[in-house]
Amino acid sequence: MPPIRDKYTIHSKAVVCQDVELKGDITIGSGTIVHPKATIFAIAGPIVIGSNNIIEEGAIIVNRQARKEVMRIGDDNLFEIGCRVESPSVGNFNTVSTRARVHHTVRLASFCVVGAGCLVVPTEDEVLDDYTVIYGPAAERRKWTGRGKVQEADLRRKHAEYLREMLPKFNRLRRGDGT
Amino acid sequence: MEAPIYYSKSEFIETDTGNKVSRRATIAGPQNIILGGKTVISTGAIIRGDLRRTGPGHAVVISLGRYCLVGEGCVMRPPYKTYRGNFNYYPMKIGDHVHIGANSVVEAATIGNHVEIGKNCVIGKFTIIKDCAKIADNTVIPPNTVIPALSHFAGSPGRYVEDMPESTMEVVEARTKGYYRRFMPFEGR
Repeated sequence: MPPIRDKYTIHSKAVVCQDVELKGDITIGSGTIVHPKATIFAIAGPIVIGSNNIIEEGAIIVNRQARKEVMRIGDDNLFEIGCRVESPSVGNFNTVSTRARVHHTVRLASFCVVGAGCLVVPTEDEVLDDYTVIYGPAAERRKWTGRGKVQEADLRRKHAEYLREMLPKFNRLRRGDGT
Repeated sequence: MEAPIYYSKSEFIETDTGNKVSRRATIAGPQNIILGGKTVISTGAIIRGDLRRTGPGHAVVISLGRYCLVGEGCVMRPPYKTYRGNFNYYPMKIGDHVHIGANSVVEAATIGNHVEIGKNCVIGKFTIIKDCAKIADNTVIPPNTVIPALSHFAGSPGRYVEDMPESTMEVVEARTKGYYRRFMPFEGR
């Protein structure tokens, strides 16, 4: 295997803390927030992260599929404390809660929620449809009706706005290579 | 007395009030964190004092009481919500003699005195834990839960199991004090 070349492209409006572990070819879009102690590893192929995502402390995002595809993460996703995401594509507005784990066989569409501590590790490739909610210790599934979607979006937007303002006051930030 | 728990002297910083804070713990916004004294913060813990309430003046984000233990790899961060259309983080208050096990994630609003939290727990946002409660290992407490005094919670989602004995307060107090006494620097030979 060839050695991994590090190449970070970080949008000037993204907030990426200094204390973040990055490896490989990573693109971070505008307004995305990466808290300290998060980990993003582009081992098998590049990772492209869209805009206004929030990646909290201890979250691990890894691209490690065999096909060397680009791992694409859409916009407005929330990855909470200590979650692990390996899925090759993530849509928009998903929530991966604290300590949840999403395996590389799963692709997330949009508006999905993976509950706290849930394991999503099917052996066959699978796509989670829009509005899927995974919850409980046995990782049960059901559909979200979409109620409160506007409020949720509003909360997410305000959260990101707040963090963009507050994080730089207390943490040192990281810049991309190309600035 | 039980066997001492040794740590290497270079790893921990001791304050005048007897707090012992690991150099390998991540503490953001330390000016917004209050430690009551004789509190131990272990290796790899993450404490977020930077997520403060907006507004003028000095804001306390996380306050811990006396004889507390924040276990290895714990994450303590204040809870957030929107109130009347404004997004804010809210302060987190933790009482005395509170032990939090390794790798737990705590986003509670209030934790009382003499509370024991096990390993690998997830304590949801705005949880209120009253005095002398106990949370078993691997418990997931959903957001906005109120855990009454002297109750034992376990499972995912965390449910009431049984009442704690009336002596819990004394037992926990003795244990937390004992832990602090046993937690001593390793004197190299």
